[in-house]
Amino acid sequence: MKKKVKTMKMRYPANVLLMAGLTVVSILMIAPLLIMIFTSLKGDSEIANTTGSLLPKEWKFENYLLAMQVGNWAVYFKNSLIVTVLAVGGSLIFNSLSGYTFARVTFKGRDLIFIALLLGLMVPPQVTIIPQFILLKSVPLFGGNDLFGQGGQGWLDSYYALIVPELSGSLGIFLARQFYLGFPREMDEAASIDGSGIFRSYWRIYLPLSGPLLATLGILKTVHVWNDFFHPLIYTNSEAMRTIQLGLQVFHGQYEIKFNLLMAASVVVSLPLCIAFFVFQRHFVQSLIPTSVKG
Amino acid sequence: MISRWNRILPYIMIFPNVAIYFVFIFIPVLWAIYLSFTNYTILNPGGWVGLSNYETLLKDGIFHKAFWNTMVFWVLKVIPTIILGLIVAAMLNAGIRAVALFRGAIYLPGVLSSVAVSMAWLWLLHPRNGPINAIIKMIGIPPQNWLQDPELALPVVIVVSIWTNIGFAMIIYLAGLQGIPTHLYEAASIDGATGLKKFVYITVPMLKPITFFLFITLTIRSFQVFDIVYILTGGGPLNSTTTIVNQIVKTAFEEYNMGYASAQAIVLLLITIIVTMVNYRVGSKRTMD
Repeated sequence: MKKKVKTMKMRYPANVLLMAGLTVVSILMIAPLLIMIFTSLKGDSEIANTTGSLLPKEWKFENYLLAMQVGNWAVYFKNSLIVTVLAVGGSLIFNSLSGYTFARVTFKGRDLIFIALLLGLMVPPQVTIIPQFILLKSVPLFGGNDLFGQGGQGWLDSYYALIVPELSGSLGIFLARQFYLGFPREMDEAASIDGSGIFRSYWRIYLPLSGPLLATLGILKTVHVWNDFFHPLIYTNSEAMRTIQLGLQVFHGQYEIKFNLLMAASVVVSLPLCIAFFVFQRHFVQSLIPTSVKG
Repeated sequence: MISRWNRILPYIMIFPNVAIYFVFIFIPVLWAIYLSFTNYTILNPGGWVGLSNYETLLKDGIFHKAFWNTMVFWVLKVIPTIILGLIVAAMLNAGIRAVALFRGAIYLPGVLSSVAVSMAWLWLLHPRNGPINAIIKMIGIPPQNWLQDPELALPVVIVVSIWTNIGFAMIIYLAGLQGIPTHLYEAASIDGATGLKKFVYITVPMLKPITFFLFITLTIRSFQVFDIVYILTGGGPLNSTTTIVNQIVKTAFEEYNMGYASAQAIVLLLITIIVTMVNYRVGSKRTMD
């Protein structure tokens, strides 16, 4: 009893110290973002003033309207939205379906195919970018190409280039397989007595239980595709195909002097994922933790 | 009839994933290896040039610079990220309140796109009007040309990268810390161990597998660094921040020298394979112990 009182006494000032320390760390971590927001609300003259204060003297919310009028942001948002929704939706269906098949169905060549898929975990996207570029450029009968994939730009500078390569993904298949391996064998037996084929079992029994898997894969893919700069940079060139990340970078190239508008555009581009993060923080955190660490 | 259908059905179910994987990942890797032995450009189908791209690599001063920069970036990013991530996670795990709030704030930079992150730092580091120069001026240090100074640019890029990755390391460590059995700490308390001793002799050794996982993951990410370099410095000044991937992109899509760029990409692939193999070897050793 005496000991317990002592540890409680020890804990109290230590806790206050920890809270203070974490507050400082948190403020340091979000300071660049706060400055980004404050700067986005400052007037032009305040931006040019080297001894300006942290907070805007006059809160210029119209900066956001001005920033959105420079460049076709509606088009960039539409592009990012279309690409993200289709890439995430498609990859969720394909990954969960094949993950289930690899985990719960026995078929010839299964392990060999799965190992070949796992090799993809070792391949940096920058290694495949050149052949992918040539491949996308050579898709026959698209983008002005003839039957032999010559003469035009194929799938380059189209939604296909940004969506189709994202529909697979070794990590997604691997995580899906791990997830479906976690169910007891009796579930398949019950389903087969029931007369369900393997696809019916997936659709009727496993898919409705796949919430945690779909949340993890969905978050990983959404963040990846929405924030992707590398592939849109290489695969698109027209303004009509620009995603928001590329749009933001081009905006910077064109309007470097207007940092308040640049910061406003950066805030707008970041907002959707930041809101999603705060609403679904628990799921975001879960999606980052690999099964080996959880175990 | 039904049994034949059941034999084909699994292949149909995996087909979309497997087909896209083979077309966009598996074949392109083999293709990249082939291209690295050619002088392919986008206009010229190119011919076999044997090892000449690799010979060029050995003599190419800019690629050497890029390789060296990538190594510096790797070491100076991964170690501080891991240490800072562990410290923050240990603080969060000490039984304080409002864990989700702190965790959210510290992870937030990790949710932002590399483009938005770069924009924020371009302003912070702006030589004339940026807040960082304003702050250091107050404490008597002359303003710096952070991203245009060949001595400073790479360290600055590394700091930006650490800032975006601390949250990730913290979250992984937090999960690991929650898996350490509390009776270990209780036993140590009975033996009279203090907080710091417990941290050094229990927490750090128990987290070894997690540290290793983070080390591998952050290593692979470091070798792939591109976005923030491309936006913050473009690889300059005087190639002081260029990286392997920055050189691949420049060679392939600005100079259209795709054969030579593929040889550079193969170097990146080999490094990644070596790191993954080390990971696999250490991982399998651990399960045998």
